[in-house]
Parts: sequence; C-alpha cells; structure tokens
Amino acid sequence: MRENFRLIENRELHETLYHYRFWPGLDLYVLPRRDYQKKYAVFSTRFGSIDNRFRVEPEQEVTELPDGVAHFLEHKLFEDERGNVFDRFAALGASPNAFTSFNQTSYLFSCTASFEQSLDHLLNFVQEPYFTEKTVQKEQGIIGQEIKMYEDHPHWRVFFNLLAGLYQKHPVRNDIAGTAESIARITPDLLYRCYHTFYHPSNMAVFVVGDLDPEPVGRQVQENLAGREYGPMGEIVRLFPEEPADIYQAKTVQELIVSDPILFIGFKDNKVGKLQSRDLMRREILMELVLDILFGSSERLYNELYRNNLIDENFGAEYTAELNYGYAMIGGETGDPDQLYGRIMEAVEDLKKQGIRAEQFERHRRKILGGYIRRFNSLEFIANNFLAYRFKDAELFDLPSILQAVKREEALGVLEENLDPAYHALSLIAPPKEE
Amino acid sequence: MLTNYSEHYLPNGIRVLFMPTDKFKTISMALFLHQELNPDVAALNALLPATLEQGSRQYPDKLSLQRRLENLYGADLTADILKSGERHVIAFSCELAHDKYLGENGSLLEKGLSVLGSITGDPLLENGGFKKDYVKQEKNQLIKDIRAMLNDKATYAYERCMALMCDGERFGTYKLGRIEDYEAIDEAALYRHYCRLFSTNPLDLYLIGDLSEKEVLRAAGKAFNFSRRAEQGHLPPTDINRSVLEVRYHEEEMTVNQSKLVLGFRTYTAHGDARYCPLLVYNGILGAFPHSKLFMKVREEAGLAYYVHSRLERHKGLMVISAGINYNDYKEAREIIDRQLEDMVNGKISPAELDNTKRGLVNRLRSQQDSPNQLISAHLDGSIGGRTYSAEELIEGIEAVNRQEIRAVAEKIKLDTVYVLRPQEGGS
Repeated sequence: MRENFRLIENRELHETLYHYRFWPGLDLYVLPRRDYQKKYAVFSTRFGSIDNRFRVEPEQEVTELPDGVAHFLEHKLFEDERGNVFDRFAALGASPNAFTSFNQTSYLFSCTASFEQSLDHLLNFVQEPYFTEKTVQKEQGIIGQEIKMYEDHPHWRVFFNLLAGLYQKHPVRNDIAGTAESIARITPDLLYRCYHTFYHPSNMAVFVVGDLDPEPVGRQVQENLAGREYGPMGEIVRLFPEEPADIYQAKTVQELIVSDPILFIGFKDNKVGKLQSRDLMRREILMELVLDILFGSSERLYNELYRNNLIDENFGAEYTAELNYGYAMIGGETGDPDQLYGRIMEAVEDLKKQGIRAEQFERHRRKILGGYIRRFNSLEFIANNFLAYRFKDAELFDLPSILQAVKREEALGVLEENLDPAYHALSLIAPPKEE
Repeated sequence: MLTNYSEHYLPNGIRVLFMPTDKFKTISMALFLHQELNPDVAALNALLPATLEQGSRQYPDKLSLQRRLENLYGADLTADILKSGERHVIAFSCELAHDKYLGENGSLLEKGLSVLGSITGDPLLENGGFKKDYVKQEKNQLIKDIRAMLNDKATYAYERCMALMCDGERFGTYKLGRIEDYEAIDEAALYRHYCRLFSTNPLDLYLIGDLSEKEVLRAAGKAFNFSRRAEQGHLPPTDINRSVLEVRYHEEEMTVNQSKLVLGFRTYTAHGDARYCPLLVYNGILGAFPHSKLFMKVREEAGLAYYVHSRLERHKGLMVISAGINYNDYKEAREIIDRQLEDMVNGKISPAELDNTKRGLVNRLRSQQDSPNQLISAHLDGSIGGRTYSAEELIEGIEAVNRQEIRAVAEKIKLDTVYVLRPQEGGS
C-alpha cells in the first residue's frame, strides 16, 4: 500500500529524487542517473553499534546487548537455510556488500545487468533471518579475525582510543565489532530479538540509483512488502546513559609497531544532542568550515607544521554530528606529538582572538561546495550519505542551500562553543620504547 | 553504449586522450609521464612529483597554490608516483566540479589546465635547480613515507613478499626507492633529471567531461607549451619469465595479534597475451570475489580468516594470495589454499563458479565506465601493458574463455615465495 509520494528537486545538482512511503512505514528513494552502466541499491536499518539498550512501546522490558551485536547480525544475514547469499548475487553478476556503523547497518549491491532480480535478492535476504547455534559459532571465528586485524591497525586504534577518552558512558566509546569476549556472548535468540525490533520496515529505508524508471522500482518494493504480513510496531525507545559533559581521560597512549607516533586530538561537542534535522546539518557545515580554516592546506598553520616535519600530507581534521553525540577530531602521524599538540591548541585560541576573514570564509565555502558536487559522480556516495542523513532527519540535498546561507559570525560562535579546551582529549599511538 | 577516447597530439608531442561525456559532474584531467622502473633512479622519480607539487613559478608556495585551487571550487590536485609492472609512472591529476553546476561561465577547464601546466611544466627554480628548501623537505617526507609502510601490516606484508620474491629484478624496487639513495640527491641533480624526463619520455594527458574537442585542445596547447625533443626514448618491456627453482619461505616476527600470510606466484602471462582473459577468469574463480573458492573455503566454511583473496600484478605476470589468520591455523589454511590451487589445475570448477566469475568480471568492467578515475586507469593500463583493450573487447574475451584455457593457465602458474608475518613467540 502506497502511503505517500513526493518529488525532491535539487536545482544546483540538476537531480530529481523520487520518494515513496509504503505501509508499514518503509521509505524508498529512487534517483535516476542517465547513462550510468551501474545500478546501486542500499537497504539500511537504523540499528548501529550504539543501539545497545532499548525497549519497544508499549512494553517496559529493556533489552541490553553485549557490544558488537549489530555488526554480528550484519554478517549473519548473509547466510540462510539455502546457504550463502553471496552465491545468489554472483549468479546474476551483481556485487553485494554490507557495513555497520555506530548508527546504522546497510546492505547493498551494485550491478550492470539483472537489476530487478538483484533487488529482489536484496529485499529478500535482509527480510529473512536465519540464525543457528552452529552458524553463530562459526561467525565468532571470522569476526574474531576481523577484530584482531583492527587491533593491529594503528589508525583504527587511535580513533577508537580517542572516543573512549572523550566519552565516559556513551556507547560510541566501544568498538563497532565488539571484543572477542563480548561476541562470545551472542546467541541466535539475541540476534532474533534484535532482528524483530530493528529490521521492521518502519525503522528502515531503501535507496536505489542508476539509469532506471522510478515507477517499476516502486511497484517491485511495494509488492515485496505486501506478501510479508507485517503488523504495525510500537516506537523503538533507544536508551542512552546520561553522558557527563566532562571527558573520561585526558590522554590515552597505546604502544603499537609504527614508524612514527600518531596523535589525534578530540573535542567533545556537548551541545549537539539538542539539535536535529537542518540545524544539525548547519552545525556540521559550520564546523567543517571552521576546521578547514584552522587546519586546511591553504592556511599558514598547515604549511608551517609541514615545513617543520611535524605533520605529513595525511594530517587532517573532521567533525561528526549525530543525534546524541558529536566530536571534532584533528591529527595524523608526527615526529613530535608534544610540539604538534601545543601548536594545535595554540592555533585554536589564536583563531578565537583573531577571527575569520571574509575572503577566507568565502574561499573555504567555495571549496566545500565544489567538493560536494564532485562527490555526486559516485552513486555509492549519494545513496549511503542520503540514508545516513535521513536517519538523523536531515536531507543530503539541502547541503548547498545551507552552505550558501551560513554566516561568518555563526562560524565564530561554533568555534568558541565547540572547540573548548575544557572538553578535549588526546590519543597517542607510540612505537614501543627501546629496551 | 561504452564511450572511448579520441587521440590527439600537441605540437610538442604530448598525447591527448579526450573523452567527451555529460554524465559526470566533473572535469577530470590527468598527466602521466612514463619511465622505466629502475632501483637506481627510483628515489629521484619519487622525489620529482613531490617537489613539483610544492610550488611553481606562478604559484611559488603551497599556500598560493592551494588558495588558487580553493577558488576553483576546491579543485583536487594530486601528484604521485605509480609502480605498475616494471614501469615507474609519474602521475598528476586534477579534478574540478563542472562549471554548469556552479553558475560559472565555462572557464574552469582552462583555469584547471593552467594550474596543472604550471606545476608540471613551469617549476620554481633558484640557482639552476629546484628550490633547495622544498627538495630537502620532500626528501624528509618521502623517507618518512617509506618507513611508514610498516604501519599497515597487510600492506607491509604484501610489499615484503614482493621485495623478497623479486629481489634482483627491477620489479623488486619499492615505488619510493631506497632510503639510502635520498641522501645524495640535491636540487640541481633533481632538476637535471626533470629536464631529461620531461623532454624525452612519453607524456599522456587525459581529459574527461562535458567539453568540446576544440576547447580541450586549445586549452591543453596553451597550458602545456614547453618544448620537448622530437625523438622519444624507448622503454624496455617488463620481464615476466623468471623461472622458479624452489619455493622460498620467509617468516618475520613482530608484536602483532594477527598473522599475515602472503603467497607470491608467477603466471608467465602478460597483459597483451592471448591467455590474458583466461588468467582474469582463473584469478576470479580462485579468489577475486566473495563467491570465489578462497573466500568460500577459507572463510565461509572453515571460518579461519576475515579477509582472504587473490589478486593480479597484471603487468608483472604475478598473482598474490593474501589472508589474515591465527598463526596456529597456518597449516590448515595452507592446506585449504593448496587444495583450491590443485582443483584449479584439475579443472574442478563448477559451472556456477565459471559463469558467476565471468559475470562478475563483466560487471566490474562495465562499472568502470561510471568513474572518470577508473576510465583513466584502465586506459593507462593499456599503455603500460603495450596493448589497449576496449571494454567491449575484454568483455567478449572473458565471455569466450573455456575450461581448457583456464587449465592451461593453471598449469603454468608456479608458487615462488611464501611470506608470513607472525606474532612473536609466546604471543597469540
């Protein structure tokens, strides 16, 4: 049953997006892209690693999960009674994949032929769970290796160590894949309970992009849902611990085999939890501008640091804003973490005093606009990012208009508020000390 | 419809490969300078793009260059060195958003090309050489980059296996050269190297976007007007015929949690050979897809690895299998891998494995048409391998591959080197 339909036009990008809503609450987005060989579809649920405590209205019973369930479930959906889902896509020449983030799990494929059948496979395997003791046990071995791989990966470790330093309680401080101990506690029952909560269509969305007509795609998705006898579901209440404003630990150091130390500095955003939709996107854009003005390769600081061998080309800064957490992160490989740390903190305070020049602001605004347009070459970028924003009630296509509207004074306000030295932490990966 | 390039030459001999298409949001441009891979000049080659990227006569430092690029709506300029077979390719690229999405008047092509031309053809000089500070600084950065290979253990294991396997061959050279060679390089020697390469070696300029041939050639001619010698040097082909006397085994200990297993094979099949398409299919059935034997047996059935795959170093005629495993599972993992290789020789390939692999390869080839960067690297591959295939040609070639041809490929493939990075004794 079609509940709703609308067109979303984007004049800047010359794109038209078709949005359908089908009972019991599944959103489908179709973006036609003429001349592309590839068609790409992604089916996502708003279930990520941070959703580890929840209840479903009107029930009062709270479910608590060990770390890594969303990711484990992602792996396990690729297997069912008939065997391995990869084979079914392979028979069509389609290429399937999946990923789990803090906030969502996504299943996807790309193909250049047999699109309709591939889309059916995607819709079917995601909606048909099959978990047994045996298959869960085997997956513990595979994911155990995935965890070990990341344990050896310094850029991965520096990132997660920083989040664990910034947050005292929020589950974003835990690894997405969990730990060997936490995944050992996962059972088929637990997977089914999560599945029947978070994989209800009202918590999910589909994005399809490529050289195709929206109407037949709409009918196909609608028919696929119609045969499944879904009932309505109560609201999912995600329970997050009260996160104190203060950070957990000022400095985290881990020794790993690396050529040079890796330093990340994080600033915890304590205001972000009150924002959503366009306001959240606006804050993200402002922070992107501020960080680029502070640390971008067209500014003095970057060039001085580079000339003094304190950073390399991979040095960078980025900001993340989600519904109930947010942080800015700055860093890279460095020969002298202490000196780099001092320079970065000094630069933040200097910019607060000196302010942002109009020329500077416009230049960085142009850069972000151009970068945004360039990324629209990639069907994967559009689909994945559209859904990530959709789950925070924002729309990817709004970015250019918000970017044009933001003001220099606002950026200064966000700088003051968000890069506050009272709420920062360090994460350092260091080579082992010589004995 | 798959699009192809039209080929042109600028007055100074630079080859222009132009693909008009309105499907992308961008104007993509790339310049490649072809050069032989040679251990003795590898450091010089690597230092060249890194130094040029620091500034030109018109944009004398990174600050002015980056600000110019930002004003061109964040044009993305890169300078890099690529190793492909026994070629060492100096690569520059610039990607810009197309004017039509910005309300601009159509001048971004010319402005982008002008920056690229300035960086590559009109460098910043002092006292008859490059700027001393830049050369010194980039030497430090590259030495750091060579050491940083260690940081990603999978990459490190792969590079170690290649270096050990091809020790004494040109391919054994790391793409950034040897740390000890950097010491002796000075700004005058580097400038002489630049003059020689840019005047005699093949230079290809690629352009893809919603552009007209006329404007492209006019703007390219204006941006790349430096003089070059008419006679161009000849580059030797890659040697793919080393025989394997015995399988070599190398183990290295490190403080790590996971073991990395890398197996290097010689295929004795070149990019231009008739057996090239059968080799692609062979590698696909064995380990290039999630439906491939390696993924199915080592990961999905035995649960021993998270990643396990085979890939081709197509211009050197090598195949490399990589996996991340527990060291204790080494024997079991090797047995499963060896059994898959035997099955390939014995023709134990199901109809589904064969058909699915062909479809998967065709899907990848068609998908390449949707990315300007992939369109450029696919054509670059042809230049390096001495034979340019159109996408249609490769697709037809893959579809026509039969079991006998796959078996012929399988029988020729020889394991040469096994490399294992393992946790220190007493570790996990």
